[in-house]
Amino acid sequence: MNTRSITAPQRSVAGLPMGALAAGLGFGCVALIPLLMDDPFLIHSLIMVLFFAYMASAWNFLCGYVGQLSLGHAMFSGVGGYVSVLMFTQLGLSPWIGMLFGGLLAAALSVLIGYPTFRLKGPYFTLTTIAFAEIVRIWVENTNDFIGVPLKGAEGLVVPAAGDSLWAFQFSSKTPYFYIILVMLVLVMLATRLMERSKLGYCLKAVRGDRDAAEALGINPTPSTLTALAISAFMTALGGSFYAQFFRYINPERNMGLELSIDMAVMTIIGGQGTVAGPLLGALILTPISEMARGHLGGGLPGLHLVVYGLVLMACVLYFPKGAIAPLGRLVRRLTDRRGSRP
Amino acid sequence: MAKPSRNRIALLASTMLFGGLAAGPVLAQGAVKIGCALPLSGGSATVGNQTRAGALAAAEQINAAGGIKALNGAKLEVVFGDTQSKADIGVTETERLVTRENVVALCGAFNSAVTFPATEVAERYKTPWIVVGAVKDEITERNYKYVFRINNKATYDAREQLDALDLLAKETGKKPKTVAMLYEGSDWGRSHASNVKRFAKERGYDIVLDEAAPPNQVDFSNQLLKIRGARPDAVIVALYTPDHLLFSRQLMEQRLDVPFGIHSVGGGTEDPAFYKGLPQRAVDYVFVQEDWQIDKLQQTDDKTIRAIADRTKEILGYGMSAYAAQGASAMYVLADALERSGSADREKLRDAIARSDILSGPALITGYGRIKFDEQGQNTYAHGVISQNLNGQRRTIWPTENRAPDTKPVWPVPAWSERKGS
Amino acid sequence: MDPLILSFAVVNGVLLGGIYGGVALGLSLIFGVLRVVNFAHGSFLMLSLYIAFWCWSLLGLDPYLSVIVTVPAMFALGYFVQSVIISPLIRRERALVVEPLSALLLTAGVFLVLDNLALMAFGPNVRAVQADYYLPSPMLGSIPLNPQRLIGALAAVLVALGLSWWLRRSHMGRAIRATAQNRDAAALSGINVPFVYAVTFGIGCAVLGLFGSLIAPFMPISPSIGVAFGIKSFIVVVLGGLGSIPGCIVGGMVIGVFEAVASQHITATSAAIGSLGLFILILLVRPQGIMGRA
Repeated sequence: MNTRSITAPQRSVAGLPMGALAAGLGFGCVALIPLLMDDPFLIHSLIMVLFFAYMASAWNFLCGYVGQLSLGHAMFSGVGGYVSVLMFTQLGLSPWIGMLFGGLLAAALSVLIGYPTFRLKGPYFTLTTIAFAEIVRIWVENTNDFIGVPLKGAEGLVVPAAGDSLWAFQFSSKTPYFYIILVMLVLVMLATRLMERSKLGYCLKAVRGDRDAAEALGINPTPSTLTALAISAFMTALGGSFYAQFFRYINPERNMGLELSIDMAVMTIIGGQGTVAGPLLGALILTPISEMARGHLGGGLPGLHLVVYGLVLMACVLYFPKGAIAPLGRLVRRLTDRRGSRP
Repeated sequence: MAKPSRNRIALLASTMLFGGLAAGPVLAQGAVKIGCALPLSGGSATVGNQTRAGALAAAEQINAAGGIKALNGAKLEVVFGDTQSKADIGVTETERLVTRENVVALCGAFNSAVTFPATEVAERYKTPWIVVGAVKDEITERNYKYVFRINNKATYDAREQLDALDLLAKETGKKPKTVAMLYEGSDWGRSHASNVKRFAKERGYDIVLDEAAPPNQVDFSNQLLKIRGARPDAVIVALYTPDHLLFSRQLMEQRLDVPFGIHSVGGGTEDPAFYKGLPQRAVDYVFVQEDWQIDKLQQTDDKTIRAIADRTKEILGYGMSAYAAQGASAMYVLADALERSGSADREKLRDAIARSDILSGPALITGYGRIKFDEQGQNTYAHGVISQNLNGQRRTIWPTENRAPDTKPVWPVPAWSERKGS
Repeated sequence: MDPLILSFAVVNGVLLGGIYGGVALGLSLIFGVLRVVNFAHGSFLMLSLYIAFWCWSLLGLDPYLSVIVTVPAMFALGYFVQSVIISPLIRRERALVVEPLSALLLTAGVFLVLDNLALMAFGPNVRAVQADYYLPSPMLGSIPLNPQRLIGALAAVLVALGLSWWLRRSHMGRAIRATAQNRDAAALSGINVPFVYAVTFGIGCAVLGLFGSLIAPFMPISPSIGVAFGIKSFIVVVLGGLGSIPGCIVGGMVIGVFEAVASQHITATSAAIGSLGLFILILLVRPQGIMGRA
């Protein structure tokens, strides 16, 4: 009985919106996994899936709704990781706080870059984001020292071991990392959901549909797109910091590279951009594929998993432009309709 | 708007993941599993596959000779993990090898950026790791108990290049004064360059050019021009295969004279594919530092070593290289340790490795005189070998113990106009 | 700065830049007509390099002669890719409101597939063609000109001129230009638009085939060689003007000279940042590049 929604009426079970209930159940079950299964490799793999789902969701927050394809988002992840690690090693600041500084710096950087770049259309915008990200990456890769701060260039930064310490964001077991990234993912998905139904979301969707028409209606695209960009960059940076603390090692190639940007974008697109669950779905589909292609065929066929990625991407663009979530959503709706139609 | 059931997705995902990850080779009865994390795809795939070939050849040989006798003839089973030359994937593969495949020991992983975090995982799981290929100094400077390295540290590489310069200067009385450095701009090249700078300063060589090159260049004319302008006596090069190929070829085409030669610290010049892609003129008189004695096969009659070389050639389609040798050596070091520990228990194996003192046999296929690890796990007897390309073959010239009696280094190197065929 | 070194650098830059321009011609043509940003551009170059290499290694054919194989082979491949993979997208674009970036993503998928299939099929080892004859270096004053690069640069200029002339004069060329201007109007005038698109894509790839043969004599070949050239091509095309054929050559030479002169003062890595910065600047300030129409 949700009159707020202007889309399809919410299905409800015992007065609670069904979508939220399903989500709660789902995440609840996922949260129990580390307690039920004592398999560190499984937990490790799940953490990677959740991490990529998180990064894809952060990317989706902006690009899924604005309709522009940014392939430079990895630079925000890199900024986040580097800032939090450097603040830890140079200033002894807890990574939890360093993360926030990293996020703010990334947000500031994003607005600086976004302001002139958002004027560009389609592929020009994409190419520009790639160029910016590459400039940042090449600069960090070639800089050993910047105003006294040891960036160590291509060598990368190592996070010194601090044992089991919540303050230092380091744990000897994988389980705390699992819960942290799970919570981060839930938060980012909630944020996306809230944004979807907020004024910001409507502005973004209007701009995506037809920029000129939106402007004619009095919507100024710039503040909304820049706000979404800043939030997206902030969240991506937090992800970069998490990565740094989980692997205790970051370098420009992996954390600021084009490959990470492409991963974020492709997972979202395959799952379904512009939706809350799409990025998670995309990560769930693609991560096991690369694991299997690597694990089973070992070294037999190098690059096979990327061929599969490419084929999945092409199939998605041609046959599932709305992502895998579209047929899945239809399936669910058909099943729940049957249930709902009973007297 | 109904959302697809997350419950279902999570269940589906777990099943897919579990299914994908649970499959693995059936544990042969009485086999000792060794895990090798190597870059089998990605930028360093060539090296990874060479190491793999060497390890397989050695393991097959050990098994054919009766396996590990102290374990009732248990066979060695080598399981490979593809790190794709990436740190996080290397860490994931290490986790998989240790917790899923239950290997008793690990080896790998060539890329320093991968080996550094991956060995930390091994240390946490108390699983011994024999490092091959990775030169980052800090890998064996962390007070770790489970990490052992048979090959050179990065500082050794740089020191050896200058040792060779000093040696040749002493033998002939002609010493180069100025050195130019051209190196690839990421981890390996930069750390090598900074080490070279340090040693050069100590030994009185002047660095007149310090040039980092971005990877995958399509043209070296600009850098060659800079080298020409700086007029160095010798040039130290650290480039990977495609860049080194292009550089060497353009140097030859432009007939750039460097009186005391080009000194390459490996990379491209260790790759057999490099030599297939260039005429002999382009590589004449070039000095190469690599982690194994290139003319070992000509200097040794050891049948085991020759057999390993033959088998590696069968697997790869081309001959031995430093990395195949290291892969083979790692297997023999582990076999030796297993014989002494008499047990496949990781702790006992670790202790046996720590007590290793190998003075002969196939483990020294790399050309080292001895394998013995210090408290940090570094084989202090590791050394590279510097060869010069003479009459179409790379012949060892440094250290003198590894130099064949009929090898005569050419120093200084002739100018292009004086070389035959020019 | 030593004037001899400076002039040497400029000459190097012009030659190399001409080659960049030639390689970028296909990209510019395809974008100008189909409005598709071909992310797989570098991959096609990589394929033609391999074809040239196999012609030399298996058939003993000199790389310059291998043009008779690479050009038709790449034309066929381009024609195929366009008609089978990309055209469903373009057809659909009329019916639904699809994100305009789909073509970019689609070609990105093609790039992933091609590059990694090549890796699987050919292996990661680097190959190189070795010419067993010796070309003399012509001298420009006291500066030796590398003959192979000179041939490549001259070919780039000739192909650009030839292509421009052909587009202006021939029947097919006019059809292509009409379709570039307005697809629907061209269809209404009786032009078979899908055929024109396929031919254009084919020509774009055929030019890449030609240049693959021309640079095979001096370029080391590996599955990842496409990426470096791909990035350069994008910078060149934007600088010169998307859709402008002569602009490609001009843009290429500007980048070549810029990088050559800059590298003498700073490291090549910083020069690479400079090129990227220039790229961004052009897109923001003068998106039509030096010679393009907006």
